[in-house]
Order: sequence, then structure tokens, then C-alpha cells
Amino acid sequence: MDDGELVFKALADPTRRLLLDRLFEHDGMTLGELEAEVPQLTRFGVMRHLSVLEAAGLVATRRQGRHKFHYLNPIPIRLIYERWIDKYRDRAAAALLDLKDQLEANQ
Amino acid sequence: MTTEAPPNGTTQLYELYIKAPPEQVWDAITNPAIVAKFFHGARVSSTYEVGAKLRSLSPDGSDVWGDNTILECEPPRRLVHTWRSLYDPELAAEPESRVTWEIEPQPGGFSKLTLVHDRLDRSPKTAANVRGWSYILSSLKTVVETGDPLPPIR
Repeated sequence: MDDGELVFKALADPTRRLLLDRLFEHDGMTLGELEAEVPQLTRFGVMRHLSVLEAAGLVATRRQGRHKFHYLNPIPIRLIYERWIDKYRDRAAAALLDLKDQLEANQ
Repeated sequence: MTTEAPPNGTTQLYELYIKAPPEQVWDAITNPAIVAKFFHGARVSSTYEVGAKLRSLSPDGSDVWGDNTILECEPPRRLVHTWRSLYDPELAAEPESRVTWEIEPQPGGFSKLTLVHDRLDRSPKTAANVRGWSYILSSLKTVVETGDPLPPIR
């Protein structure tokens, strides 16, 4: 369920990143509206990319009447940020702080 | 007559899986001692009855962060309340929006938590500000699964 691998694979494709960016700017789009955002793709192509994004939890859908709206779900990216980015940033920051302490101690 | 589709960009949706039964997730979002751990130390109070107030204060109690109203309450599955960001005068001046929490049991002892923040049509600054739900909700997940909150945002 919290399969980071599905998220990394989904994010590895430029078209899927483009779809996420479009949803960030304009959340809650129908398939037809998303198709218009990537005219280089067929309807089938857009659906295929959306299903990869949905499987990774990056896109969630809601039905309202006859319409199905697609939403960017930012939570998996947040979890990757906490798991993979925050940790290493902390390490770099700690190394710099150690350096600062050493340099100041030598003065 | 067909139902009018809502305008785009005025609804935000967040979904996450938490390794805990729905009752435990419900407790986390309605128990002030737990809310304080994942919601910037907010001090919340409410009877969680429809029509009741859902008040929220800063950690030291000196600022009012929220004075919202419970619209629906069905433990442990669904909580709906109004939203106005009183912690910032510019945001507080925008119209009220709405927050819906939905908790669904999942196989393997998981719950699926969905948060929908909608009716943001005329509240663009609030819409940008509440993108912080990502941090709040991932912190909620960490609190429920480990008992400890995420480190404060930097």
C-alpha cells in the first residue's frame, strides 16, 4: 500500500509529471480536460498514464453526477520527501554545523 | 436539467493509508491530546455534535486559530466541518470553506483516510495556504503509527 516503488516509477515518466503539474495548477479535471492538456497523446495514452498515477496513489478520482474528476494527491510525494530528502538534508546540515563548530573552536 | 460540474481548482483532495483501525484514526482526529501532536500544537475543543463549535487555539492559548462548526459527525467514518483560517487576517477575510474527513477500513488492518477541502471557489489565498494539509496528514499518520509526531516544519 505504501509502495514507494510505484511512486518512483510513476514519477520517472515526463508525461506523467506533466499531468501532475497540470493538476496542481488546475485540480479536479475530467479525462477530456486532461486530454486537452497533452494533445500529443491519444485518449488511450492519457488513460494509461492516469492509471499508473492512480495505482501509485498520486491521482485520486471522485465521481460527481456523470463526471469523473481527477485530483492530485500530494501525500505520496510528501512521504517520499520525509523518507528520502529530509533525512539526507539533515545529514548535510549536521556536517556543516560540525564544521562551523570546529572552525570556531580553532579561532 | 443536468447537474452543473463544480469549477476546477476549488477542491483539494488528500488520500493516505494508515496502519490502524478506523476507530484509532477517528480518535486521533477528535482527541485534543492527539490533535495537538500533529496539528502545530493546536488546542482544539468540541463536543463533536452536529451544530457544535470546533474551536482551535494556538499552543499557548493566546490566539484563536479556528472557530468552526461541525456539519456532520458519524464516528468512526465521517466528520465534516466548516473552515476559516483565523490565524491570518488576510485568510480570515475570505469566505468560509469546508473540510470532510472520511475513514474507510481496508484489508490488513489499514484505514484509508481521505480529506477533501472544498468550497474554496472564492478563497484563493486559503486554498494556497491549506496545501499544508500534506504535512499535517503525514504527521497524523506518523503519530497514529508510532506515537510520535514528525519534527517541526523548518
